[in-house]
Amino acid sequence: MRRDKKKGRKGKGSNFKSKLSLFQKPDFRMRRSCPLSAKNAPEVDYKNIKLLKRYISDTRKILPSRITSVSQGKQRKLSLAIKRAKILGLV
Amino acid sequence: MAFYEHTFIGKQDLSTKELDSLVKKYSDIITQSGKLLKTEKWGVLNLATKIKKNRKGIFIHFKFESKDDAVKNIEKKLSIENNVIRYLTVKYDKLDLKKEYFAETK
Repeated sequence: MRRDKKKGRKGKGSNFKSKLSLFQKPDFRMRRSCPLSAKNAPEVDYKNIKLLKRYISDTRKILPSRITSVSQGKQRKLSLAIKRAKILGLV
Repeated sequence: MAFYEHTFIGKQDLSTKELDSLVKKYSDIITQSGKLLKTEKWGVLNLATKIKKNRKGIFIHFKFESKDDAVKNIEKKLSIENNVIRYLTVKYDKLDLKKEYFAETK
């Protein structure tokens, strides 16, 4: 019951990992490793729009790393790249 | 000396002549005090939001190596330019000349 209610409230907007609730403990879920630090990971750059679009919300906000599980260093680079792309109107 | 990437957005309704003169003007400024490594024309792209009442813009991208006063010079002149919507300069330690995220569409 409770879960259903939560889902209904949350459903708006966040198309990215809508399953992962922010306040729920991840009981079975292993901590995922950073998708940008793996081998052959794509380069974080303000011109790489395809990549950046994955890490912003529908309202052009930068998604927090606790949702996307990006490492701290990469998150810093990512946010800088997104801000640069926003200046040029790319994202 | 350092590597820079410079992008500016021209207005959509610029003729090719005006655009070429713009490109020439700024590539001349770069070559005066440094080395122009690459020029990319990304073509007309949609802007994510309206910027100065424009919905689309023509993107021009330079990659060059020079001292920082060239960058100051360019930005000073671009800020007065009427036909340019926005510009951005980014400093790099190393430039990747091969990869193009925006393939030319003509």
